[in-house]
Amino acid sequence: MDILHNLAFGFETALTMHNLMYCAIGCIVGTLIGMLPGLGPLSTISLLLPLTYSIPTDGSLIMLAGIYYGAQYGDSVSAITMKIPHASSIVACIDGYQMTLNGKTGLALFTAGISSFIGGTVAIVVLSTLAPTLGELAFKFGPADYCALMLFGFLCVSFVTTGSLLNGLAMTLIGVLLGTVGTDVNTGATRFTMDLPFLIDGIGLISIALGCFGIAEVVKNLDSGNQYTPFNGTIKLMPSWPEFKRIIPSALRGSAVGSVLGLLPGGGPTIAQFMAYAIDKRFSKYKHEIGHGAIEGVAGQAAADEAAARTSFIPLMAIGIPENAVMALMMGAFIIKGVQPGPTMIPDHPELFWGLVASMWVGSIFLVVLNVPLVRYWLSIFKIPFNVLFPAILFFCCVGTYSINNSLHDIYITAFFGFCGYLFMRLGLEAAPLMLGFILGPMLEENFRRAMMLGRGSFEAFYTRPISASLLAIVALFVAWQTWAFFRQPRRAAGGVMAMERVAELED
Amino acid sequence: MIKKQETVLNNMNLARGLCIIAISLVFGITALQYRIGDFSRAGPGLFPLLIGTLLLLIGVLTVVRSRFVEPEPIKHNFKNIALVLLGLCGFAAISQYLNMIAGIIFLVFVVSFGGTNYSVVRNIKITAGLIAVAFMFRNLLGLNLPLY
Repeated sequence: MDILHNLAFGFETALTMHNLMYCAIGCIVGTLIGMLPGLGPLSTISLLLPLTYSIPTDGSLIMLAGIYYGAQYGDSVSAITMKIPHASSIVACIDGYQMTLNGKTGLALFTAGISSFIGGTVAIVVLSTLAPTLGELAFKFGPADYCALMLFGFLCVSFVTTGSLLNGLAMTLIGVLLGTVGTDVNTGATRFTMDLPFLIDGIGLISIALGCFGIAEVVKNLDSGNQYTPFNGTIKLMPSWPEFKRIIPSALRGSAVGSVLGLLPGGGPTIAQFMAYAIDKRFSKYKHEIGHGAIEGVAGQAAADEAAARTSFIPLMAIGIPENAVMALMMGAFIIKGVQPGPTMIPDHPELFWGLVASMWVGSIFLVVLNVPLVRYWLSIFKIPFNVLFPAILFFCCVGTYSINNSLHDIYITAFFGFCGYLFMRLGLEAAPLMLGFILGPMLEENFRRAMMLGRGSFEAFYTRPISASLLAIVALFVAWQTWAFFRQPRRAAGGVMAMERVAELED
Repeated sequence: MIKKQETVLNNMNLARGLCIIAISLVFGITALQYRIGDFSRAGPGLFPLLIGTLLLLIGVLTVVRSRFVEPEPIKHNFKNIALVLLGLCGFAAISQYLNMIAGIIFLVFVVSFGGTNYSVVRNIKITAGLIAVAFMFRNLLGLNLPLY
């Protein structure tokens, strides 16, 4: 009953006029921007993050969460209608696009929308039961445990997002190093500032995010010279009853898979989609149709996507450790707003936590009643040619960077990171782990130094405390396995996206 | 010498390793100039040095591994990134010394060289639209943009 009481309390925050508006704006703008080619959730959030600065804390976090799942839905819309894959919607391209080819675009979009709603609802139940419990558990974590947990997270994220442990770890560590730029909080010494006054406070989160995800993506699209032909088919949204009945079991399966995978470090929407799709392919009643435009092929993955997107808030808000790059960015936004995610967040800011949880459900409803019926109008955004769009995106990057400190110098930093992001991309390095390293770097250093100080310079705490010892044991096993694989088959660990595509082909 | 450069550009894996090594050295060597301290009383340089060393190790492993895999060429087309960087830096500089409206004009007219075709009329329309948006940002959202 406690949960119901808490949720009711949360709805009090979420259902105020302002917060409803922020949630709706977030969902719609997120969907619109997320639909654009090349702009996945990470770039969408970094582009829109500056918009939330002038909004009160609860409203801005609600809006950001709305932007996040709006972007997720937008991704699947462009995947279904035009087979434009983003990192977060590769699976939707398979059956979703096949359904478009079969003339069932409306059904596919409706399925994706309603499955997202089911996935989101299941995930919110998980979120509201699990997060407070986990938060209490997290009070038992010492500095050594936090270090071990972060290392474990680094490893998982590196491996999952890039497919190559070496590349991913390299990016994470570069991120950690970038996080050390600025004033060292323990000694007051300035590090790596090259005597530039604007680096004393460290590198801005927005500069890195917009550079690596905004500008680099724009240039990538320019380089490829892709022009997308806008979708011109008809959209008939309402499904027939037998069609509707087919959505439910698959969506529930997907929700369960997504909720679990969203909790694990390195987990999150992308991997949940693949898993849900694979499970549907094996257990669904209509498994022979999957791959040729089956409802199940869309429903399961959409539900898993949404469920994982929401349960991945649990590690962030309960323990204070983001488990993937999007959550790292969210954590940055929380900190900018003066809220430190972690075990103390729920007791200290109950209205914020429960308000956010409740608003996620409100956001789900917005997605179903607002975005799904209006999607045909949203699709007209593709009628704007990219030649018009990209100068505007670059301008928004500039304004976003500038508006944080009203400093034009920050634009140079963003441009510099745009170049870095481009270079990394050309070198086959994924920028997402860098974000995680950058956000967690200062925390890792802080906890590491604290653990070493408490242990008077000995590493004992790392292997005597049960939590950290078991996490580090998993890390060691993982590294050993990867080293073995490294010497066995150097070819196997090719670039992450390629690996994903290969999985997608295999699924076909 | 020229031959070596060619191999680096034609081998993404090798170039990646070298790039990682370079970054690790920049941070690692700079960290050495700060006080290192010891584990029980860490100075500001200790943690970056540790991470830099780890990164160096990864860079070396990447270079070693690049010897065993088929070289992949780097796709490089520096025109677009150069245009975008020029546009952004020019925007910042012009906004600082002149005003942001001139900056927007510069940004649009420079970066659109990177598009698939170039049209002055279209650029004027985009510029007008963005200036309108900038005024909206300033007057409705209260952003402090130095427009004129």
